Amino acid sequence: MLKQSRPRFDQATIPNDLCPIGTELITMLPGDWRSERPVVDRDKCVKCATCWLLCPVQCIVEMAAWFDISYDSCKGCGICATECPHNAIAMIIETEG
Amino acid sequence: MGIGHNTIAFHQDKCDGCGDCMTVCAEAKSGTTDTQHSRLKIVPSVAANDSFELAMCRQCGDPKCVLNCPSGSLTKDHETGVVPWDQEKCVDCLLCTVGCAYGGITYNAAAGHVMKCDMCDGDPACVKSCPTGALEYNKSAEIYNNYGELEDLFVPGLAACQGCNSELLIRHTMRKIGSNVVVATPPGCIAGMGTVGFNGKTGSKIPVFHPLLTNTASMLAGAKRYYNRIGRDVTMVALAGDGGTVDAGFQSLSGAAERGEQMLYICVDNEGYMNTGMQRSGSTSFGSWTSTTPVGETLRGKTQDAKNMPVIMMMHNCEYVATASLAFMDDYYEKLDKATAAAERGLAYLHVYSPCPTGWRIPPESTNEVCRKAVETNFATLWEFTPDEGLRFTRPVDNPLPVEQYLNLSGKYRHLDDEQLTHIQNSVKRKVAFLNGFMLATSGSEAQMQ
Repeated sequence: MLKQSRPRFDQATIPNDLCPIGTELITMLPGDWRSERPVVDRDKCVKCATCWLLCPVQCIVEMAAWFDISYDSCKGCGICATECPHNAIAMIIETEG
Repeated sequence: MGIGHNTIAFHQDKCDGCGDCMTVCAEAKSGTTDTQHSRLKIVPSVAANDSFELAMCRQCGDPKCVLNCPSGSLTKDHETGVVPWDQEKCVDCLLCTVGCAYGGITYNAAAGHVMKCDMCDGDPACVKSCPTGALEYNKSAEIYNNYGELEDLFVPGLAACQGCNSELLIRHTMRKIGSNVVVATPPGCIAGMGTVGFNGKTGSKIPVFHPLLTNTASMLAGAKRYYNRIGRDVTMVALAGDGGTVDAGFQSLSGAAERGEQMLYICVDNEGYMNTGMQRSGSTSFGSWTSTTPVGETLRGKTQDAKNMPVIMMMHNCEYVATASLAFMDDYYEKLDKATAAAERGLAYLHVYSPCPTGWRIPPESTNEVCRKAVETNFATLWEFTPDEGLRFTRPVDNPLPVEQYLNLSGKYRHLDDEQLTHIQNSVKRKVAFLNGFMLATSGSEAQMQ
């Protein structure tokens, strides 16, 4: 990945009489919001990147021969499964299978 | 890594089985109109009457035909994504046709060998010939190959609803523009989902601040003037909702546009104050249910038309004004390029139609479908304007679908009666007619003045 953001500044340089905000990133991950999870059929995926393009959370990761999903941050909206031109993604209810 | 491949998508609901694609394919590849030489086949569906299936090579990521081929005539080209067939090496054993579950490689008895799609070197003839748009050349991979490696400038954990179009928009927008920015996110979903942070932490990896609903454009104008004075070149970006743009933020935006302040102002129009409980805004469309335009015995949703904000901004003669929809992401990326460049000269305004799954009562997985149908019905038109070149449609819709096909997707229009539907259809036609007239009046404004 090509880093775009600049390095975060050294917090030790903040004077003691200032209360800094926004110096750390939010670490919450929304993966546990899901009621359904997308599962990629590796044989059907043709790497067209449509899922990556339309995933609101941008949790699609590229593998050698297919695109996969990072379940840490996937909210389970199902847009990838709806938009996949080759029906390679299925939504599975979390409590089943 | 970092390689996706364009693909040919088939929309079964649009296919009428005319077979033009097969004729064109046979012509392009074998110089005959005999469809048995066609490398794709349209066949009647066995599952449903009056519908058709496509048998065509999908250029699989891990192709079974290649695994089965004993002579090495089939390979996977990981650069182009195509599975090319080399006739020199082929021993006509047909094992490849056994491996393929999609009917993508088939035996052509007339020619005496197998045949398969080679994607016409990235310019497929079948797609161009399809009269109904059932075959589509999906170029999502081009954007991925150009920008997929760039770091996402927001944290993964933003608290936007499932299927949120605004979240999709801000991630793509800021990844494309880069980190040499100051971003303003006034009150609304974009700030509320955690971009400006909470509990002392931040959701953005770029400088971001939270102006009031009313002063987004004036705060950015001041920040830009300060950077100009100290000689730093920084892009000012506003990621505002329709409430912060069309209603409360209007006077400061109008003033900044009139003064030609250098900034890129993006209005994410989800037709209401969705972050605070789905109240109506000046941008809410006619007939919409919102929490302040309820549906009951007397009131049937909003009784006024939406303010046509992109046209109002066009009348300010901004450096660049455009509308966009994320169902047409290539169009949006092009406009972002032009808008970022224009923001160095003056105010660039982007108006993005952005359905809200929660507030519009749509299932989260259909957000993109709603975006697409809005454009295909002409409910949302995609165009761009510059003072020199006038107005230009970037994706004209020649045969728009009836507006019901868009309205039926959202629960907020569920109650509409015939009279309201007619009103909406007429106002869509009027808006398009106005834009067409304006386009004719302004096309090549520079040239007309000579």
